[in-house]
Amino acid sequence: MEIASTLITVVSSQPFLVASTVTALSLLFARFAVRSVRFPNLKTPQSDGRDSAASPKKVCNCVCSCNSGLVAPDSATTGAPYVNGGTAQMVEKASSVAVADRLSGASMMEQLVPEITTHALSYLDYPSLCRLSMTNSLMRKAANDDNAWKALYHKDFTLEQDSVTPANGWKAYYAATRAIVRNNAEFFNIIKERSVAAMSHFWLNADYVKCVHASGELFSGYNAVIQSWQLAFNWEHGVNFQVRDVRARVLTDMAWVTMKTIVDIDAGPFNVTNVFELHNGRWYMVHHHSSMEVDAQIVHA
Amino acid sequence: MSSSSSPMQSTGRKLKLKSKDDETFEVEEAVAVKSQIFKYMVEDGVSNGPIPLPNVNGKTLARVLQWCQKHADPTITEDELNKYDAGFIDVDQAVLYDLLMAANYLNIEELLKLACMRVADMIKGKSPDEIRRTFNIKNDFTPEEEEEVRKENAWALGP
Repeated sequence: MEIASTLITVVSSQPFLVASTVTALSLLFARFAVRSVRFPNLKTPQSDGRDSAASPKKVCNCVCSCNSGLVAPDSATTGAPYVNGGTAQMVEKASSVAVADRLSGASMMEQLVPEITTHALSYLDYPSLCRLSMTNSLMRKAANDDNAWKALYHKDFTLEQDSVTPANGWKAYYAATRAIVRNNAEFFNIIKERSVAAMSHFWLNADYVKCVHASGELFSGYNAVIQSWQLAFNWEHGVNFQVRDVRARVLTDMAWVTMKTIVDIDAGPFNVTNVFELHNGRWYMVHHHSSMEVDAQIVHA
Repeated sequence: MSSSSSPMQSTGRKLKLKSKDDETFEVEEAVAVKSQIFKYMVEDGVSNGPIPLPNVNGKTLARVLQWCQKHADPTITEDELNKYDAGFIDVDQAVLYDLLMAANYLNIEELLKLACMRVADMIKGKSPDEIRRTFNIKNDFTPEEEEEVRKENAWALGP
């Protein structure tokens, strides 16, 4: 099937099409000039033809001549003797299988050429792409395609990291990114709820964790950090804020996320950096840094 | 957008096309050039006799040309076009398959996009089982593979 689809790709390429059409047309004129004297032996294989049973000799000759050295998929049924047996049979079988399968109602999705499948898949969201991959082995291969997940990553998260080659492929990277982004969102929920208990579970209990609040104060070590949050929650009344421009970089057991928080219109946006570490399958916060943005213009390298 | 772009073309020139089952079609150049294949042929001056299309049957070619006609019409509004497209692509899978292959072969970008989005819409929001039923896909996973696949996708769908 793979050869067939490669052939189909070759055949549908524009230079081939133009070349074969020119060949076909010029041979057509030649036929009229020479008067069927040289072509009698082509009429016998023509009787093999299946779907073009009623095709007049004119078309058959075009098609057969095209076949010399090249294959046009559906026309191979009439031109078999002119093409090296194996290839013609392969394509012949593929096209007849396609017809037969379509008639018997078997999977259209699996009959499509790869470039069409890729195109169709590019419109799916990640849950749909995942569910499609669970249907059968062929769809699993198509829906787990690395480039498809790379494109989805750029669509859903960021155009950054284009030159990155994730160690476990783009689907795994997408999954890890989604997990981190969810975790990061959880951090802000905890702040909104002002839950010290939740915050104390969220941070890694280690002496090297640090927190720099928007006030500019630095707290070092788990206990100090959690205490600082307790103070913050006691002191401030509920703050409503928005989080924007979340960008995550995920490595094997460490990830860092940058974002902007907007508290109110007067105070400028805050630039925030969060760092997480993976322990026992769970992401823990190890660093938080928030500072007010002074200059509205951001400098890009 | 792509109509009447070639300088040597005068309005009213027609292209002759022949489907694989020998149906002939005459279509205005302005309509035919929706297909990049024909666009290049027209520009290169290779469009004298009937152009054989061994990969497209008459029924499908008729449909495709109808679509091209509609989309080459300068008087039609975008709303009308969207409505037309929605109705046009609401077809059974056999027809959809033919349209996909034809649009790909003839390199008609907008039509291919329309057909691909239709396929995507048929997949979205369905469970794997529902997707299988929609497309008649046979589940060929072994029990071990089923478990592998489930784990592989748990992050997106829950355990």
